[in-house]
Order: sequence, then structure tokens, then C-alpha cells
Amino acid sequence: MTAPSIAIVGAGPSGCYLAQALRKQWAETRIDIIDRLPVPFGLVRYGVAPDHPGTKAVTRQFERLFERDGIGFHGNLALGRDLALDELREAYDVVALATGLAADRRLGIPGDDLPGVYGAGALTRRLNDHPDEQGLRPDLGRRAVIIGQGNVGIDVLRLLSKPEAAFEGSELSPEALAACRAKPLARLDIVGRSSAAEAKCDAAMLRELGRLAGLSFHFAAPLPAPESTEDKAAGQRLAAFHELAERHTERHTESDGCQIHFHFGWTPEAVLGEARVGAVRFHGGESGQEPLELAADSVITAIGFAQHDPDLPGGPEAPRPDDQGRLAPGLYCTGWLRRGPRGTIPENRQDARAVAAIIAADLGAERPLGRPGFAALPAAAIARATDFAGWKRIQAVEAAEAPAGRLCRRIPDLARLLEIAQATPVGGP
Amino acid sequence: MTIHVIYGTETGNAEMVADDLVEALEHDATVTARDLADFDPAEVAERDFVILVSSTYGEGELPNSAQPFFARLEAQAPDLSGLTFATFGLGDSFYETFNHGSRILADKLRELGATELGERGVHDASGGELPGEVAVEWLKGLLGAHGARVMAGEAAAEAAS
Repeated sequence: MTAPSIAIVGAGPSGCYLAQALRKQWAETRIDIIDRLPVPFGLVRYGVAPDHPGTKAVTRQFERLFERDGIGFHGNLALGRDLALDELREAYDVVALATGLAADRRLGIPGDDLPGVYGAGALTRRLNDHPDEQGLRPDLGRRAVIIGQGNVGIDVLRLLSKPEAAFEGSELSPEALAACRAKPLARLDIVGRSSAAEAKCDAAMLRELGRLAGLSFHFAAPLPAPESTEDKAAGQRLAAFHELAERHTERHTESDGCQIHFHFGWTPEAVLGEARVGAVRFHGGESGQEPLELAADSVITAIGFAQHDPDLPGGPEAPRPDDQGRLAPGLYCTGWLRRGPRGTIPENRQDARAVAAIIAADLGAERPLGRPGFAALPAAAIARATDFAGWKRIQAVEAAEAPAGRLCRRIPDLARLLEIAQATPVGGP
Repeated sequence: MTIHVIYGTETGNAEMVADDLVEALEHDATVTARDLADFDPAEVAERDFVILVSSTYGEGELPNSAQPFFARLEAQAPDLSGLTFATFGLGDSFYETFNHGSRILADKLRELGATELGERGVHDASGGELPGEVAVEWLKGLLGAHGARVMAGEAAAEAAS
């Protein structure tokens, strides 16, 4: 059977896992990953918290794709801006979109656009020195309310309250920290719709909070006993909440750091304020409780992600994939773009392997093969593309410029990233 | 003599390590890497030398691809007294459950009568070293001490003596 030429759009974990699975399918064929940035790895670089370098270690596996397995990386190429989807499909036999879901889902309640409301995804990108968020200088004030208790919400909680000295050995740049934490927060409330047992975060994330000095943890209502649930993960979560609560009783008098208050079972109703955020009101659903109103200088939403990138094919009217990731003959999607914004890095690996199997099974059925790949793209696109060697140069500079106590200093400025990536002109005259 | 490198993985890092070990061994032995998800305990019970590579997930648990294997191992409880194995674990010392996954598997194999050869190797994701390089170094050390006999299929005899 002839092998197809394949382009994957998006060099995040889903795109990289798809390339890996397709390479196992076809040892020789042309497989290229295209990204709008000159740096690969998407959410691993810009979504995983900068103080979780162990989670980012999966990039070592992905680098091997480009260094050893013959996968091409073409950065600085944005679909819709530099390249039309049709042009890409003309050049490659198979195109797979792995562009993820980058936009923070909005609350969809009155006041959700008041100044002082920030998305957790945008904040995390800012803390990871993403070039797109350099204009973001959040004014969080003294009291912030985080809405959403998934791991993303807990990441933001930790990054905003953790003592600065504890960032030793991380990738968090002093500049990003200063931009998001101009003044220390006195109090953080974190509110979720679920009960404590069913909160969306992992117990390990909570225990990590418990290891940080200077914080105190408060629970408005008594926590159920860990034994009250049959579910193993829920029991571990409750045990971790209990550890936080007990820690507070032991040390609260000496604590002058951030006070962290957990609230369970509350649904946001309105963000209140005139010119900017002043408070948030929640209702207790069917519990019949009086509404909860929390004073707040700022609100951080961590309730999931959505697609609103107008540059993506089809925009908001994008075709919905069938449940196997098919969008059209020879056109597929994988990862969050396919399944929605759920699932960690390993789940996207499973997803990519499943989509790779579908691509292999469909091959040639509806679309003849033989497209040459990258060389058949419009000349202007080829000329502006950066390559993997360009990324390695960026990586070397970022490691060399690491400040004391940090693993690297990420370059936040897109122009400088491009300048380094293009130091040896690629593909152009 | 066939050496099976069997791995349990979630993100694919343990698979990568297994691939590196195969590459390091393939000049000297018949060697294959297989996911524990596709591996039956009955195969382990054969008189072979097995290198176990496993990561750790969640609350110090086995990675997804190792869980069905572990459940079958418990259910079938095969006699593994003829088996010799070595273990390499991946984890993140950031968490208290560092490398529990590989330990759970190794403990179970020993409980069923298998003999563990040499020191368990470990890689720490927070340590900055490449997991494949750490694993190949570990393997060289292991083979330096026990290599000739592993290759000759006599590892079990040596470990038992």
C-alpha cells in the first residue's frame, strides 16, 4: 500500500502523539507538523504550570520525533493567516487538525465581561511567557475569587499564592510573576459547583498545596469523612482536603500569607460591580441555601476551554467531526479539538492513536494519494516557515539566559523568537 | 534466549525507555519491547529474562497500560519461580508516591516466586536527565555484573545461588 503525505496542524501534545502513532504506521512517509509559533509543544510549554517541570518532561519524547524519526517541524505558519486550509489539503494527502481549544470558556452570567475578570488559561499563558499574552497585566487586587476547582483552577490558586522562594527550580520567570502578582493577595476564594468529594481536582494537587509554607486553608462547611464515599479517587480527595483543614488549625495563628477559602456546591449567578469587579454572587442550586456573596477585587474563571479562534477553518461554524475524528475525506482532527477540553496528556495519547488507526483504515478510499507535501505549499508560506533547528537555537538561548534558581528564561517576545529561529534563513532566498 | 522488555505507560515515556533498551541490547540478544497491555502473565511464566519498565500515575498507582496485566497476574497467580527479571521505574520525585508503580509490579512478581536481578533502576522526571540515557546506563551496570549469565539464560541460576 502506498503511504500518504501527512500534515498535522498544531505541535502540542495531541499533534505530537498523532505524528508518533502515524510514524509507527508508516516508517518512511512524509509527516510534517505545522504550528503558528516558531516553538513547538503547545500546552506542554504554555499550559502546564511553570512549576511542574516533571510534567513538561514529556517534551523529551516529542523532540525525538523531530530529531530521530524524521517528522518535519514548520513553525511560524498560521492556518488562515499564512496558509488556507485548502492549500494545505492540496499539498498533502492527509491533513489532521490538532489545534486544541485555546479560549477560556466564559461564565455566561451578568457581569462576566467586567474589568477584573480574567481567564485561567490566559493567566497561565502569561505565567508561561506566551508571546500572545504580553499585554496582559492582571490587576488582581487584594482579594480574588477563582471559579472552578479543576486542576487548572488549583494551578492558578497555587501560582498566585505560593511563596516566591518556593519557585526555585521551576521555569517561572521573575517578570511573569511580577506581572501577575504585583501585590501579594491577602485572600483567595475558590468556588466550585461540585461537592468536596466530587471536586474536579486530583488529590495530589491538593497535597502539593499543603506542602507550601505560609498559606492557611479554610472551609466554610464541615467536610464529609473520606470513608463516606465508595469511590477511591473521591476518598483520596476528601482525605487531602482534611489534611489542609487540619493544617490550618495547627498553624493559623502564625500564618501571615494568603488565606485560602474553599467553597463547594455553589453555582455562579452574577459578577457584581460598576466600573469593575466588586463581588460575585452564587446560588446553592437545589440545596435551598441563601445565596453566597463574596467580595472580590478580581475574578478568575477556570471552567474549561472553548474554540473562538476566527482563523481556524470554518470558524464558529466549523464542521463537527464524526465520533472517529473525520471532518471530510482526508481531513481529520484529534485531541481537544475532537473531544472537547477534557482529559490530560495521556488521554490525548490514546486519542491520537485511535485517530491514527482511523486514518490508516480510511486510506485511499475516498481520495487518491500522491501529493508531494511541504514543497507544494505556496512559496510565501515556505519562505516564512521556521524549522526544528530554529527551535533548538531558541531552546539553547533560553537555557543560557536562565536566571538564578530557574531552569530557563523563556523568550516572551515573538520578534526575538523569530529572529533566533531564522538566524539561518530557512527555505527562502 | 529472548529478552522481553515489557512496559507500562501513560504518556509514552516508559515506551520510549523500552525502545532505548531494545536498541542497546539488540546487537547481543534477541530482544523485543511490548506494552503490558498486550502481554499475558502466562507468557511471563515462561523461563525468560524480563526487563520491566513502568511509570507511576495518580496516587502512586500503576499506569493505565499496566493495570489489566496486574489484575490478570493477581487472578491467575502463575508460578513464576523460573523467571528472572530486572526493573526500571519512571517517576517524579516531586510527588511522595515517587516510583511506586514499578515497585508494585516488582513486589507482585517476587511474591509469585520470580527473582529480581540487581538494583532497581529509577528515573526522576524532575531531575533533568534523559530517561533513556539513565536506563541504558543502568542496564550496562546490570549486565556488567550479571551480563554473561543473562545472555546465556542462566540468570535465574546465578541469582538463586
